Amino acid sequence: MASSVVFKSFTGLRHSSQEHPKVLHSHTNPISSFSYRRFRITATAIGGGPAGGSAAETLAKGGIETYLIERKLDNCKPCGGAIPLCMVGEFDLPLDIIDRRVTKMKMISPSNVAVDIGRTLKPHEYIGMVRREVLDAYLRERASTNGAKVINGLFLKMDIPKKGSENINSPYVLHYTEYDGKKGGTGERKTLEVDVVIGADGANSRVAKSIDAGDYDYAIAFQERIKIPSDKMVYYENLAEMYVGDDVSPDFYGWVFPKCDHVAVGTGTVTHKGDIKKFQLATRNRARDKILGGKIIRVEAHPIPEHPRPRRLSGRVALVGDAAGYVTKCSGEGIYFAAKSGRMCAEAIVEGSENGKRMVDESDLRKYFEKWDKTYWPTYKVLDVLQKVFYRSNPAREAFVEMCADEYVQKMTFDSYLYKRVVPGNPLEDLKLAVNTIGSLVRANALRREMDKLSA
Amino acid sequence: MSISMSLLSPPLTRFQPSKPHFTYKSTLSLGPTNPPFLLSTPKASTDNGGAGVSASAATVEEPELEQKTPESSDSVPMAENSSNGAVAAGGEEKVEVSKFGDPRWISGTWDLKQFQKDGKTDWDAVIDAEARRRKWLQCNPESSSNNDPVVFDTSVIPWWTWMKRFHLPEAELLNGRAAMIGFFMAYLVDSLTGVGLVDQMSNFFCKTLLFVAVVGVLLIRKNEDLETVKKLLEETTFYDKQWQATWQDEKSTSPKDD
Repeated sequence: MASSVVFKSFTGLRHSSQEHPKVLHSHTNPISSFSYRRFRITATAIGGGPAGGSAAETLAKGGIETYLIERKLDNCKPCGGAIPLCMVGEFDLPLDIIDRRVTKMKMISPSNVAVDIGRTLKPHEYIGMVRREVLDAYLRERASTNGAKVINGLFLKMDIPKKGSENINSPYVLHYTEYDGKKGGTGERKTLEVDVVIGADGANSRVAKSIDAGDYDYAIAFQERIKIPSDKMVYYENLAEMYVGDDVSPDFYGWVFPKCDHVAVGTGTVTHKGDIKKFQLATRNRARDKILGGKIIRVEAHPIPEHPRPRRLSGRVALVGDAAGYVTKCSGEGIYFAAKSGRMCAEAIVEGSENGKRMVDESDLRKYFEKWDKTYWPTYKVLDVLQKVFYRSNPAREAFVEMCADEYVQKMTFDSYLYKRVVPGNPLEDLKLAVNTIGSLVRANALRREMDKLSA
Repeated sequence: MSISMSLLSPPLTRFQPSKPHFTYKSTLSLGPTNPPFLLSTPKASTDNGGAGVSASAATVEEPELEQKTPESSDSVPMAENSSNGAVAAGGEEKVEVSKFGDPRWISGTWDLKQFQKDGKTDWDAVIDAEARRRKWLQCNPESSSNNDPVVFDTSVIPWWTWMKRFHLPEAELLNGRAAMIGFFMAYLVDSLTGVGLVDQMSNFFCKTLLFVAVVGVLLIRKNEDLETVKKLLEETTFYDKQWQATWQDEKSTSPKDD
């Protein structure tokens, strides 16, 4: 696709045979290709994670002059690194970037009842575990081969053109510090004029700040990468563990995820951020026998957004991924949604600009939000309800784990997780499930009342 | 049946039967510093999953040992483990992880044979024991172990035990309340609309009212419940508001821009 810059007159022809039939292409002849060159809009994705990478790729493919600014090109983000199966297909990921294929999950309740999830998985189904540095680098690389220019730089601020009809085409001026190997530690301050900005710079987004997008509540996730003896690693070959309980986290879960040659042990919380160290200790303690003798090779902490920012769009600046706040509750999944939102936003820009020939405005970008909210709002809501019901207290968590032992639940959970679609269930099974769940909740709560009496 | 009925009437007497059971064991087995139903072992001794359990089982008496299924790997280092436990109690090393121990808790579940009473399982005692275990776990989170999985499931306790124990004491009150509210509402509707009691039964509005009353009686049992319901409603809509902020923004700012 890099050739699209050179053979401009053929872009129209080539694009019409692309896999995006929705993208509009006006007929391109050699004469209009000159105007095409002159009016070609520029876009910048700030942040080189899955959101920025996939946005830049889609923009570049769509014929827009694309830049991607990322500070740390070898950044290992503190991230569980789980991707659903459908992402491999949708984003055409090579199988070798997947370190591990998790086919078994263990959920462990506060009273240590362990439930195996994943018995319903078909042989070809798995949850992929990736290292973020590998995945991000791959997506950026692909964006760059498609024609996006990757800039190793730190985004500082952005000058927003004044409101008014005369400024409708004036560019955004991005200030950034460029680091290119030879200059050493100190970078060079540069500016870049672009028409559209995609803010994909994560939870501490500077783009969000500069468009006054408002704040969101966030959870703090703490994770230790632990290298454990190889005989213990065998157990985590294709298995991930989730611990729930008040000791591990008051409103989230603790995890042990297998990575390439080590495990990641972590936990997260929104409400008790100050106690995160204590929760981490508790998580390690709950998994103690299985990670005994392990050496901590890296400690990481990261904020996880809880809900979208109040404002995700201003003029020709749109937010995607973590910067916008697209992380699900309950499971805390964000990679797929980041990549997907990046792509969806870029598609809206490509479509609105008719492959870069026309200036876009806010209403074009708004289409992306409309589509996004329509497609994924139910998923987010369901997970929010699940979190509220089942992470509420220890008895609720016990009931949750009991519920997860049910094969029907596992099937539904994995179907919706792996393929990101909500499949209507069997009403009879749903009813059975509801009755069982209420039964579990009632029993667990009855036991709690008994426990309260014990302390009195 | 009749025995368990008598057990559950006032909450305090409920523990009476099991109490002497515990004290009897504590005098036999453990040092005076330890509470009877928990046994602390140092880090070294718990790497074997079943150590805590087997140690406590070992310290009790022969009958329990016979019932315990002989897992050779567990039963061999038994003596060693119990001596380690003694060291921990002596306070030589800071105890990192302790394991729940109870003579009736055997290989990850309550040994129901030990809850027999007159040839029937005393389910109420099982509930007591499980509540006690969970209470203990809440204060002393335990490491999970694959060698010693917890297999006890509260659903093995039959539903009527739960019903009798947790619903019946309240049922009287709820029934009474529902009857009073129902009567009063019927009277109110009659006096306001002139529709008699019999006619009310075939009226959709009155049926809805009846439904609301029953649900209300079930949900709101105490005054605090009203607060809880209100808070729940707020909670369920909170996330929606957070999401819809984007679209509210559009409505409020767009007139300004134009």
